[in-house]
Amino acid sequence: MEDDYYSIESILAENQKIQCTFKIDVPDMGHLDGGNERDIKALSKVQVPLWMAYILIYSDYADFTIPPPFSARVRSALNAEARSVRLSNLVGQAGLWYGFGRMIMRLLNDDVAKEMSDVLVKTFRDRLPEVIDQAQHFASVHASSADSGVGGDNATMLFREGLDGTERELFALAQDSTRRTKRWYETSERGRRS
Amino acid sequence: MALPTPLRASVTPAELELIASEQLVEIVPLVAMERTAFISGAYGPLRPPTKCKVPIWMATNLKLKKKCRVVPPDWLNVEFLEGRLTQETSEAGFSEMPFRFAEVAKVLLDVAPDDFPNPDKIRSLLKDIREARQAKSREGLSKLDHSELSLPNLCSMEINEIRPFFIRAMGVLTDLVKEAQPQQDAP
Repeated sequence: MEDDYYSIESILAENQKIQCTFKIDVPDMGHLDGGNERDIKALSKVQVPLWMAYILIYSDYADFTIPPPFSARVRSALNAEARSVRLSNLVGQAGLWYGFGRMIMRLLNDDVAKEMSDVLVKTFRDRLPEVIDQAQHFASVHASSADSGVGGDNATMLFREGLDGTERELFALAQDSTRRTKRWYETSERGRRS
Repeated sequence: MALPTPLRASVTPAELELIASEQLVEIVPLVAMERTAFISGAYGPLRPPTKCKVPIWMATNLKLKKKCRVVPPDWLNVEFLEGRLTQETSEAGFSEMPFRFAEVAKVLLDVAPDDFPNPDKIRSLLKDIREARQAKSREGLSKLDHSELSLPNLCSMEINEIRPFFIRAMGVLTDLVKEAQPQQDAP
């Protein structure tokens, strides 16, 4: 998630494609779009990975459109009930919706970027308690007994499947730490002491 | 780093227990011993009918050899804990407990249940208090923002439990919040 050069998450988040509209002709680069064209013509729309889009946009060779995971439709769905949106579907399996969003945010101008940041922050805060709740629930279920009815109801399962990569990481952290603490509370170490 | 991820952010409960074991507790010794120097300090002398303060690790050791009785700390009894539980369930904030109460209570109840008037009741009270407090730290989660979070009177074991994901979540929020100064001019 962070900008660390060595962060795999950061590289994965940059690997998402966004749609760019070229403002100028670029000779001999038609293969970027996977087509048979030899050149990229001005005003043609090309999907390029985000890491390449940076330089195109900053050099004013191209414009970009806000990608579908952050479209108005998704935003209003998030606004209505952040917990029922499946973030993982928006950016692919193990995708990094927040990481991607943050990189798009960097490309935008102040006002739009602020709006984007608000969407990201609000979504994260709305979803966080549910992520942690479920993590803690699962920590105790597995620690105490092999309960067969573990799955919970359908809605919570859908929520878990919809977690984005960053949330998955938090889920694992919370689950681990809860499990460790719980184990400590429950074991008596009288035997070890004597 | 070579440490596994979950251990990078926090220490294990067992380590906290070790730290808490340096705290002093009152015992009634059943054997006599001269004042003895240990690495952490000198304790004693032990003169049987007189109470004496020793670290918890020493008290557990003596207790397991049946060479002392533990005097329960003044907060580890049914009345005090009942009072705290009422506070905990009626007020919004965390009630004031000794910082390492969870560790101390567990160790003492583990090794010296026969020195407490009503160990099972104490255990169940401690459990209730812990659950009430957990519910509150969950509330804190929804108030989380990128720069600070104030949960006064949270105790060491509780801090340790929530630390890994709280700091991660705050880190994510820091990344998501738009910085005040524009970054556009530095491609």
